Amino acid sequence: MTPCFPMKYMIKKNIDKQDRKMCHGEIVVKKVLAALVVSVALTGTAFAQAKIQVGCTATSDCASAMVAIDEGIFKKHGLDVEMTPIGINSNIPAAILSNSIQIGGPTSTVFLQAVDGGLDLVAIAGATVMSPVNQDSIAAFVRNGITIKEPKDFAGKKVGAPGLNAFLHVLFVKWLVEKGVDPKSVNFVEVTFPTMADIIKSGGVDAVLTAEPFVTRMTNAGLGSVGARYAVELARTDPIIFYAASREWADKNAAAIKKFRDAIAESAVIVNNDREKASTSIAKFTKQPIELVKATPPNRSEPALKPEQLGWWIEVMSSQKMLQSKLDTSKLVLK
Amino acid sequence: MTANSAKALVLPLAVLAAFEVWARATHLQSDSLAPPSEIVMALFGAFADLSILAATRDTLFSTFAGLAIGTIIGLALGIAFGIFDTLNRLMEVTVEAIRPIPSIALLPIALIALGFGYRMEIVIVAFACVWPVLILSRAAVRSIEPRLMEVARALRLPPAQRVWKIIVPAALPRIFVAFRLSAGIALIVAVTVEIAINPLGLGAGIMLAQQALRPDLMLAYLVWIGAIGYALNVLLVVAQNRLFGRAALSGDGA
Repeated sequence: MTPCFPMKYMIKKNIDKQDRKMCHGEIVVKKVLAALVVSVALTGTAFAQAKIQVGCTATSDCASAMVAIDEGIFKKHGLDVEMTPIGINSNIPAAILSNSIQIGGPTSTVFLQAVDGGLDLVAIAGATVMSPVNQDSIAAFVRNGITIKEPKDFAGKKVGAPGLNAFLHVLFVKWLVEKGVDPKSVNFVEVTFPTMADIIKSGGVDAVLTAEPFVTRMTNAGLGSVGARYAVELARTDPIIFYAASREWADKNAAAIKKFRDAIAESAVIVNNDREKASTSIAKFTKQPIELVKATPPNRSEPALKPEQLGWWIEVMSSQKMLQSKLDTSKLVLK
Repeated sequence: MTANSAKALVLPLAVLAAFEVWARATHLQSDSLAPPSEIVMALFGAFADLSILAATRDTLFSTFAGLAIGTIIGLALGIAFGIFDTLNRLMEVTVEAIRPIPSIALLPIALIALGFGYRMEIVIVAFACVWPVLILSRAAVRSIEPRLMEVARALRLPPAQRVWKIIVPAALPRIFVAFRLSAGIALIVAVTVEIAINPLGLGAGIMLAQQALRPDLMLAYLVWIGAIGYALNVLLVVAQNRLFGRAALSGDGA
């Protein structure tokens, strides 16, 4: 076989066509490999992490962090903070542990299950708590053709929850138990918020556990009616979402956490009192239309978080067999 | 555009027009569907604010990097297994045990080990791309004309040169078909990883648009992903035909 000379030379010297073809193949291989090597080299680019990344789902619960960024409150306290949108709340603990985000906004149920599962997370500041305003916005919305007069009417129904064992589902099960209804008699399925209206309309489920603005939108579209305002009846003031970090990061960044807490306390005042500023920041982060954000009652921002505030959640989740171990509330919240 | 391809467009366009008329007539109120005209407007909007271009860059970067790494690993293993029958038999159980694992099932482990970002997505994409390249390149190497191998032996080519000068060029058309197959898989896996976990790229754009109750934007992202997938395949088919000519047909059974 002839060695591979440049193609022009081989043509000029009338080198056998088969050999030329073989050499052509070799050149193609070299080109393809060169392109692959360049691509691989590019993947090695390191992405430095100088900022504190705060990961939250696209809801208004982390409004205090959103406002603190937009109003320059974090900067004023000497912190460089950026928000990272997280698709599903239950991914937040893993994201914290991988250091993709340093602080996350898990729901109480997600946080407690993660700690129960052995992840060393610690709550560092409060975000939102249940209050009469947001409790009133939580409802079990029932499709047309189904009548719910009392809690036991939910027995045998197919009920869509935005996340099984998540906030609204756990609250609803607690409400059923308090009303003497066996939760096992209800058929729960997962239905995400944006698909609720279509699934209720098609009759895919009999009811959905939802909140504003979905309740108003579905009511206005004539898809059904509110079957129960179960959160109001529970009348709790426990945390919905709070800021959490890994214990290791928290121990190493005590000064940054103090600044974070101060900034969140300052911006919580704005969230609770200046609807315009809060709505603008929420719309900016969640990408929801501003009119929609303004039409939704905001969750109450509560920057202080005490260990005993997690006690009710632990009790409720334990009774629903969601926790395996006995959690010590004093270790769950950073002092 | 030929008359045939124009005819092929009639049905989808008619369906879109009918859907538009139906959506307008019924005053469609949905958080998951939107009239085609609104989807087009949302697509223009996403181009205007450059958000869809930035997302496309992120997705394609992960897609190509994962594809490159997966192809290199799959090719190296495929060639080795194709040449050394003993190695192939020794590794068969291992390969067949790992190959059926859906790449997406690795997400929880990948998230904790690698965190959000390009790295995690590239690893998952690479894992998905290794197998088609490995299997097809192994088959390609084993089906090389025996006389070519005899020539290599007669010329007393050392193993590295045998691979470089005989095996790879002879198997290249079929290896490229495997690469084409993997390219389609790479894009699907990259977008799926973004939808499921990774907060970047076109998949994350779909999720964010859905959560923001913007079905028009969500479907605009979907249409754009379809266009990218189509363009990628056309590009690879053209490259295949240009690089290998009639030889490309020998491996195009996929």
